[in-house]
Amino acid sequence: MRSNRVLVIGLDCAPPELVFERFRDSLPTISSLMDGGFYGSLESCHPPITIPAWIVMATGREPGELGMYGFRHRKLGSYDETYIVNSHSVKYPAVWDELSKRGMRSCIVSVPPGYPPKPVKGCWVSCFITPSADKQYTYPSLLRFEIERVIGEKYVFDVEFRTEQRKRLLRELYHMTDLHFKAINHLASRKKWDFFMFVEIGVDRVHHAFWKFFDPTHHLYTPGNEFEHVIEDYYKYVDQKIAELLKVVGKDVLILVVSDHGAKGMRGAFCVNEWLIEKGYLVIKHKPGGVVDLEKLSVDWDRTKAWGWGGYYARIFINVRGREPRGVIDPSSYESFREELADELRKIDDPSGRRMETKVYKPEQLYSTVSGDYPDLLVYFDDLYWRSAGTLGHGTMYLPENDIGPDDAVHSMHGVYILHDPEGRISQGRRSASIYDIAPTLFELFGLEKPIGLRGRSLVEAV
Amino acid sequence: MSAEKVTISIPKSLYQKIEEKVKESEGAFKDVEEFIEFVLTELLKEEEGEEYPYSPEEEEEIKRRLRALGYL
Repeated sequence: MRSNRVLVIGLDCAPPELVFERFRDSLPTISSLMDGGFYGSLESCHPPITIPAWIVMATGREPGELGMYGFRHRKLGSYDETYIVNSHSVKYPAVWDELSKRGMRSCIVSVPPGYPPKPVKGCWVSCFITPSADKQYTYPSLLRFEIERVIGEKYVFDVEFRTEQRKRLLRELYHMTDLHFKAINHLASRKKWDFFMFVEIGVDRVHHAFWKFFDPTHHLYTPGNEFEHVIEDYYKYVDQKIAELLKVVGKDVLILVVSDHGAKGMRGAFCVNEWLIEKGYLVIKHKPGGVVDLEKLSVDWDRTKAWGWGGYYARIFINVRGREPRGVIDPSSYESFREELADELRKIDDPSGRRMETKVYKPEQLYSTVSGDYPDLLVYFDDLYWRSAGTLGHGTMYLPENDIGPDDAVHSMHGVYILHDPEGRISQGRRSASIYDIAPTLFELFGLEKPIGLRGRSLVEAV
Repeated sequence: MSAEKVTISIPKSLYQKIEEKVKESEGAFKDVEEFIEFVLTELLKEEEGEEYPYSPEEEEEIKRRLRALGYL
């Protein structure tokens, strides 16, 4: 099946439980795309995090191939040299690169990692890892001024998370999303394109800031609170914005709605480094006087076997002799130590004494190729319900909230996809798919051969 | 930009086209000179290739935001 033009609508973090079930009746546009299309849950990659998930989707490549395991990486063999993943870090061609080579035009807006802007045949607007709107954030360079003319102000990439200032956050969220859709509608109607893809990050932000107010199973939920309908209202607003966009793009465009991962209520934050200290794997020279990042503390590396990073999942690094400057684990015992550590991590209980459903992965179990600056273990505490806190000095291992501010939601493995062909060539139905299937689907829709080595399968083949 | 300036010549027809662009920019560029400075600076940046895009201060600011968002 071929399509002349494809529009990909990215809703960061949108879970099937909300889009397909709980909010479905409140979302007339998305619901009509489902009615006339093919849809289902979309299994994310490991880890199910914005970076790498969107670029996994756009390239069809595994995080291990891309060497991307999150936003931040440490240089292997170093304790403190870190860097932020950016658009230059992507070493495999994305769908838009292949289309550019064949003379087809793409319009790419806010697809992480989108900074610095990448030259494509068409145009590019970078994403929320842009330092500020004073930096160059578009390709071509002059597009930035055109966008600012259209939206009437500087571009806004993200909202600032502020503790307990949720009304202000909500105002900023709507303002940002409004600007994004103004820019998107302008580009969609004024530029020539065969492929248009954008990601609205506001969906993720509304989950993280307001989940505890609407999820009765969340441990901090209070019935009848003033923010109870915030998430649903925001979804309705986005649905209306999508309706306006669909009017702009016309009827000859195939629509693909996707999310990079799902969301679920956070049970708490687990202080991974406190646990490693208690178990004797991590040794610090002085106890912290207050809450502090591990990197700010003096670590006794000669007696430290492993340390961890915070985030929606934990990255564990092993202090290996010959790899780290003051490594203590001999390479010959690396594997047995890694097994021991994984076993101990799986035995962690929650504060009530219930055994968490912690998943521990070695990178080579998840990926066919492991490249770049990989962690020694990837850990999903209680199947991601507990996020990992990298800080120490809380006086407990278990925090009811995020260690660095409110964050009521965590990520889940399943996002969504809806494939809708206005020409009715796609039969209606529901089937789950994988994030790896999206790139092959797009290649097929544009009549391009699937690059060798992609593990996914075109969804169009299946319909 | 360095304060010291030099004068170069460009074809008048090109100058006139840029004048139009400056007018279309509705104030983003003060004059033709500012437009040309911007475009040439951007072009040279592209030539610099794929260096790490963040200054140490920018990297710290991005990390602060990513922490607040829960990614780190």
